[in-house]
Amino acid sequence: MSVETLNPPAPAATPAQGPARGAAVELRNVSHWYGNVVAVNDVSFSLGPGITGLLGPNGAGKSTLLHMLAGFLAPSAGEVLVDGRPAWKNPQMYRSLGLVPEREAVYPYLTGYEFALMNARLHGLPDPEGAAERAIDVVDLRAAMHRRIGGYSKGMRQRAKIAGALVHEPRILLLDEPFNGMDPGQRMHMMELLRGLAEQGKTILISSHILEELHHLANNVLVVVAGRLAASGHFREIRRLMTDRPHTFTLRSSDDRRLAAALMAHGSVQGVELGAAGITVRTAERGGFAAYLPRAAREAGITLLEVRPTDESLESVFSYLVKR
Amino acid sequence: MPLISVQDLTHRYPGGVTALDGLSLELEPGIIGFVGANGAGKSTFIKILLGLLTPTRGTVRVLERDAIAESLAVRQLVGSMPEHDCLPPQLTATDLVSHMGRLAGLPRAAARERTAEMLRHVGLYEERYRAIGGYSTGMKQRVKLAQSLVHDPRLLLLDEPTNGLDPAGREEMLELVRRTGQEFGIAVMVCSHLLGEIERVSDFLVAIDGGRLKSAAPLGSFTGEQALLAVEVDEGSGALVARLAAAGLDAVEDGDLVVVPLLDERPYDLVRDAAADLGLALVRMERRRHTLQELFRAPAGAHTTEGAHGTRA
Repeated sequence: MSVETLNPPAPAATPAQGPARGAAVELRNVSHWYGNVVAVNDVSFSLGPGITGLLGPNGAGKSTLLHMLAGFLAPSAGEVLVDGRPAWKNPQMYRSLGLVPEREAVYPYLTGYEFALMNARLHGLPDPEGAAERAIDVVDLRAAMHRRIGGYSKGMRQRAKIAGALVHEPRILLLDEPFNGMDPGQRMHMMELLRGLAEQGKTILISSHILEELHHLANNVLVVVAGRLAASGHFREIRRLMTDRPHTFTLRSSDDRRLAAALMAHGSVQGVELGAAGITVRTAERGGFAAYLPRAAREAGITLLEVRPTDESLESVFSYLVKR
Repeated sequence: MPLISVQDLTHRYPGGVTALDGLSLELEPGIIGFVGANGAGKSTFIKILLGLLTPTRGTVRVLERDAIAESLAVRQLVGSMPEHDCLPPQLTATDLVSHMGRLAGLPRAAARERTAEMLRHVGLYEERYRAIGGYSTGMKQRVKLAQSLVHDPRLLLLDEPTNGLDPAGREEMLELVRRTGQEFGIAVMVCSHLLGEIERVSDFLVAIDGGRLKSAAPLGSFTGEQALLAVEVDEGSGALVARLAAAGLDAVEDGDLVVVPLLDERPYDLVRDAAADLGLALVRMERRRHTLQELFRAPAGAHTTEGAHGTRA
């Protein structure tokens, strides 16, 4: 399938990079195996500023990838580069990388401020107090900064973790399931926070199972299936490259039957189904059909009431990739 | 007969935290989505419903039975799927579920039969004879659901049923929840933070906030249509906006979309004609809907006090 052609580095899929500086994060033919179990298999990609979603079923190798990026695991083969240098056995890399792990990696007896301060001191920052306060402000925890983390809500704890990971103002931020346990308000707030950081030019990689949220947050995705990179890039571009699957639209109009007949005349249309709720059209050529639709409707004097592409969501793209 | 009837329910934990504050509510059978911020009182409400906690004040009736005075009778009517990992790893699914059936008062043979049926219903087959400790998260969630159904309850309480599941697993669990509600004709109450899931499975929504009722209404009343038409064209949003402006429509770009106010029927044809004239690919045109998200959209600046529920009076 044509998506495979995206597989090696895929320059078009990642945001533009300045020529002087390489991608913030780059993987070149990376594999990792645990004994005979191949967790990551020949994966290559590069990431630039902005938010990228890391998706895949449980056991696909997402955590192994994140752990290699964070320098916790050595690749069994290939190269994992952060700022152009290997991530493994390179503590200097942590100056430009922050990790927000999935687990509750906070000390309940510290206050949010103390936790950020501890991280600032570990990084040997010149003004740890100032850095800790700035990080607390970034995650909007000032009102609670002197309360113990043990008494925080899940959303606040998650934000304290992010403050700890941001205290040295890294260019790269890795987040593993950051929305876990958060309520709807906390989720929305966290998304705003991450969007703001992306606008400042940070490179952010988020793993998540909640596709409808990533849909709003990250246009670029990496989809890992069974250890391999199944696709990378803007999820709509990925969808468009799946030329072996017809695109489907559902339509409602002032005269469904006549519209259905008119649409059948277009060469790209493979099927039209007339139902009580409207028309379902399958077409081989998304753009061509969508340009034909308004012309055909006008010619026939039919008012279009609704046009919806039914398989363009991140969810449907993901399920195509996982099932094929 | 109302499914759940709650009058002035108040619960104050020792130490002064008020988790529920005069909650009153009447629910009819169906699939009910139950939402609220962390600390809004959802868990406390469920514990009282199950007779695990005696409220400070107020009454709860489940199918006309008093949850406090007749808690054993209520537990016969209610099945519960807790959020946390509560399964003994050394037992097999068959052993655990039939044990739960026996605990609920089923005779041995009936418990065995119901167990086989329920495990099949949730989609566990050969694995049921293996120890739960080796199960995936998705299989564990299925066992939790099966044990909640074994005694043929009239009401099912599901707390974050898709927790830890990947997208395919979530999809299957939601389908299972829907089927359970419809095929067995039992009422289901689903607690979740994922509003998209609530929107997909439930037909009625209850939202609580600060221990009080925020809203309780059919789901459709939260997701009604707005007087806005969201339009998407492949290239040339700017040209479309300009064209619509020339026709007197105050359209604005919003991300990939062009949003057109829909005061009368005119915009439908104006958008169609603009796309046809400009040769644009009209990929989407639909009425914008209200979303459940709006229930939780805090006024600006309010989130800094979020999580302070512990001190809420």
